[in-house]
Amino acid sequence: MSYFRTRIEAIGGAVLGTSRAALELWLVYVGTIAGIVRGFSRRHGGRGRPKGELVRQLHAIGNRSLVFIIVTLGFIGMVMTYQACLQLGRVTGDYSQVGSQFLRLLISDFGPTLSGMMLATRVGAGIAAEIGSMKVTEQIDALRMSGVLPIDYLIVPRFIACVVMTLMLTVLGSMVMYAAGGLTAQYSFGVNPSTFYDLSFVRGRHLVLFVVKALAYGAAIPVVAGFCGLRARGSSEGVGWATTAAVIGSSFAVIVLDFIISAVALFLADGDL
Amino acid sequence: MSAYIEFRNVAKAFSGKAVLRGMNLAIDKGEVMFIIGTSGVGKSVTIKHLIGLLRIDAGEIWFDGARVDQLPERSLAPLRKRIGMVFQSSTLFDSMTLAENVALPLRKHGKLSHKDALVEARKRLAQVYMDDYADRFPAELSDGMRKRAAIARTLALAPDVVLFDEPTTGLDPVSARRVDRLIRELADTLGVTAVVVSHDPPSIFGIADRVAFLYQGIVHVVATPDALRASADPIVQQFITGQSSGPMETPGF
Amino acid sequence: MIGEKTIANIGGGAVSIAQHVGGIVVLTGQVLRALIPPRIDGRELVKNLHKMGNRSVPIVALTALFAGGLMMLQSGPFVKKLGATGLAGWAAGYAVLREIGPILIALMFSGRVGANNTAELSTMTVTEQLDGLRALAIDPVKFLVVPRVIAMMVMLVALTVIGDLVALVGATVVGSALLEIDASTMYHSFADNLKPYDFLHGISKSVAFGAAIAMSSCYFGVTVRGGAVGVGRAVNAAVVAAAVSIMLLDFFITYLAG
Repeated sequence: MSYFRTRIEAIGGAVLGTSRAALELWLVYVGTIAGIVRGFSRRHGGRGRPKGELVRQLHAIGNRSLVFIIVTLGFIGMVMTYQACLQLGRVTGDYSQVGSQFLRLLISDFGPTLSGMMLATRVGAGIAAEIGSMKVTEQIDALRMSGVLPIDYLIVPRFIACVVMTLMLTVLGSMVMYAAGGLTAQYSFGVNPSTFYDLSFVRGRHLVLFVVKALAYGAAIPVVAGFCGLRARGSSEGVGWATTAAVIGSSFAVIVLDFIISAVALFLADGDL
Repeated sequence: MSAYIEFRNVAKAFSGKAVLRGMNLAIDKGEVMFIIGTSGVGKSVTIKHLIGLLRIDAGEIWFDGARVDQLPERSLAPLRKRIGMVFQSSTLFDSMTLAENVALPLRKHGKLSHKDALVEARKRLAQVYMDDYADRFPAELSDGMRKRAAIARTLALAPDVVLFDEPTTGLDPVSARRVDRLIRELADTLGVTAVVVSHDPPSIFGIADRVAFLYQGIVHVVATPDALRASADPIVQQFITGQSSGPMETPGF
Repeated sequence: MIGEKTIANIGGGAVSIAQHVGGIVVLTGQVLRALIPPRIDGRELVKNLHKMGNRSVPIVALTALFAGGLMMLQSGPFVKKLGATGLAGWAAGYAVLREIGPILIALMFSGRVGANNTAELSTMTVTEQLDGLRALAIDPVKFLVVPRVIAMMVMLVALTVIGDLVALVGATVVGSALLEIDASTMYHSFADNLKPYDFLHGISKSVAFGAAIAMSSCYFGVTVRGGAVGVGRAVNAAVVAAAVSIMLLDFFITYLAG
């Protein structure tokens, strides 16, 4: 009997711990939104937020992820098209639909999600590492003591920058994927570019999905990563754990959000995607 | 007669800044030699060179009649078994208990089985009065205890020489004196040659046989503690009496 | 001028990437040399297998479940519209076995285990524990790195196998719950259309990904410099390097293996 008791206690503990973490995460999110609202209502940035911070974050997140996104998404685009053409060749031998279907999937799912996963890794780790080392070297406490809310100062600029940049990078990454896919289809399977680059199947709902997902991921990553960073404890070890947790947390958040948004969209569109 | 350990004209620079500039030092077998000087003058750097954790830019290092500064990494194992080092941060492995920590070199080099190594490890820990804590993890112990356990681990391979990098820095006075006593015991009863980097006066004047004062990249003076205290050299006097102003140039201040 | 500074940045970036790649190659050489003859610390190997496996099963399983479901969401409606429900499992299953399974699981593994490993190793490096090992005449590569590399590669393959299965289950669940394609149809479409080669194709990728994640993770762990900030940067670099390597390797293997 005691065997079961320890098991149940362990599960109970895990559930409690997760719930508490989820609640704190939600509070960070709410706090971030509140911080943004506060920022707007006090016209020039609010107390403590340096004016250049937002620009610096835009640069840090956007510029420095550019090459990474182009390279990774380019390669994925090539691979996916290759696999699809390979399989189609086995089954029907008809490549006329590849381009249009690829584009549909790209816009409604893979473009935002793959960009999101890549950014979750790169940006999530970066944010958690920065904020984590600040927490561990007591700079966050120093901020609090000079009357500045860490959320205002640290997370809000990153949040805004990340949402904006994720959308922009997703657009760019998707274009790269599309181009790479077309090149692969052309050079490996002889598919005519004009056949591949066929936009006729794209509908408004796909574009809506694209934007919704990109924005959702862009919002989730900094909140999760910032949350993990703020929770860092100890010394260098703590920073390591915080960064690890941020990468997993943001990646997982992207996947779960993708699933939820896709399922809801499917439901709303009555199975017609 | 050449000394047991000898540094001849050793030079080392980091990123263009010269730290050691033609340093000479001879250490005799069985003695407790202290290397002292201000922070950043190159004390830790000096002893790290002896076991190849750092490489010198110029000069020679001799140990027991053989030249050792040119040995490739692969061939350093025999040297490192004869010269052990106790680091400033104790460097015990966090994921192992004290007994497992001390047992590690015994397993790897003494070819003992895991069980036998643990038995031996407890004996070594007893030598430094730490056997009661053999099954604890380093994180659970105070700095002084960790330091003693680290010494036990270094002694596991029965080295001829032990290097100590600031063994008493950061310890409370009682723990510090315990560590001093241990070092003295090693030299007196086991014949171990101890090279101690320190700037702790009670240690220096408590247990050192000789003291080498490192200043501006060379060994400014080597003398017994008493001779040092009686020295007329103004630079030595400033360091010993701990004055903030005087003829000494301290970089960065 | 914007142009000059950007070019200088790109140039500097390229140089440091080249340095890192070189460093990783050197470390890989050391690891390989330590394997011939294979004298690995058994206790460390078992300890790491245990640690890495235990930690990652839940997250990988969950990810795989969602990924499988996602694939089904994407391909299912299309297949249904065409009335080819017999192929329902094929599209989702094929994507899972060959691409999505190995890549997604590798990315999650890189985040969970790779990053953790880098954090551990870099903390050890920063606290001089690696120097401590060297001073005891124990080679850190043989003692620490090799067991971890082997453990990571083995674990990733095992997790991919498990993950593939879980993903197929996820696809089936979504198929029956949301798309009214019943489980037995799904099962038959898997069995009829998915070939062992598809599975092996994905597993061979896992081996390569495992090696990439392991080497990147260990390299950035042992070359870290500079305290808490350095550790954060090392973990960051390790995950990014792993992600890029995974994509590149996926590309090459797909083309080479067909």
